[in-house]
Amino acid sequence: MQREINQQWFFPHAPEKIWDYLTKPELLSQWVMENDIKPIPGHNFSFRTKPIPQMNLDGIFHCEVLEVVPNRKLSYTWNCGSGDGSMLLSSIVQWTITPKEQGTELVLKHYGLQTELNEIIYNGMDSGWAGNVKKMLGFLNQD
Amino acid sequence: MQLQNYDAFQVIADPSRRQILHMLSEDAMTINSLAKNFDMSRPAVSKHVKILYGAGFITINTVGRERYCTLKPEGFKELKEWINYFDAFWNRKLNKLNDLLNTQ
Repeated sequence: MQREINQQWFFPHAPEKIWDYLTKPELLSQWVMENDIKPIPGHNFSFRTKPIPQMNLDGIFHCEVLEVVPNRKLSYTWNCGSGDGSMLLSSIVQWTITPKEQGTELVLKHYGLQTELNEIIYNGMDSGWAGNVKKMLGFLNQD
Repeated sequence: MQLQNYDAFQVIADPSRRQILHMLSEDAMTINSLAKNFDMSRPAVSKHVKILYGAGFITINTVGRERYCTLKPEGFKELKEWINYFDAFWNRKLNKLNDLLNTQ
């Protein structure tokens, strides 16, 4: 089972240009959504879009900048909820920029903060029903 | 009994409930045997179990006087959905970035 999001893109442009599109609010909003990002560790900002009912999200993504390496690396928290104050999803978005001969490679990693949670999901999906039924039968046979 | 419809993420945001799921991922357990692993009272553990049941994470089977809890993999679908959702989300966004950069 897939446990995190990993995307790798190539753009025939300089790393500095990609960096600008990741860190300047007016450029970032052209392809992600409205935001008030600043590439400063500890800066709190948000992305805002329309509510996403199918995911029970209010459309506000609460972020805190974690890591900034100009033109190379940017990461921030990506937390969202249904609007009642509790976060349904706590995750981290990480961008890595690598200069290439004819342009720039951009790698996105988006993963859950709750690694413990990921473990449960992983176990839940993999160990599965069949194993538990077997164990149940084991219990029953003990009677 | 009417169970409150908890959101999957709210359900597992609670450390005790995560621990219960952890224990059940290894083995089916009775509510009594689960309760032995916690400092809280049996009714408190039972309440967490009911919430997990209500959210579809576990099934409860009564065998004699005991109630056995087992993990229900289908309940984890919603959690898997966020990965699928945001994978598609970022793919759309990065396609847009690609278009933006290439039309300049």
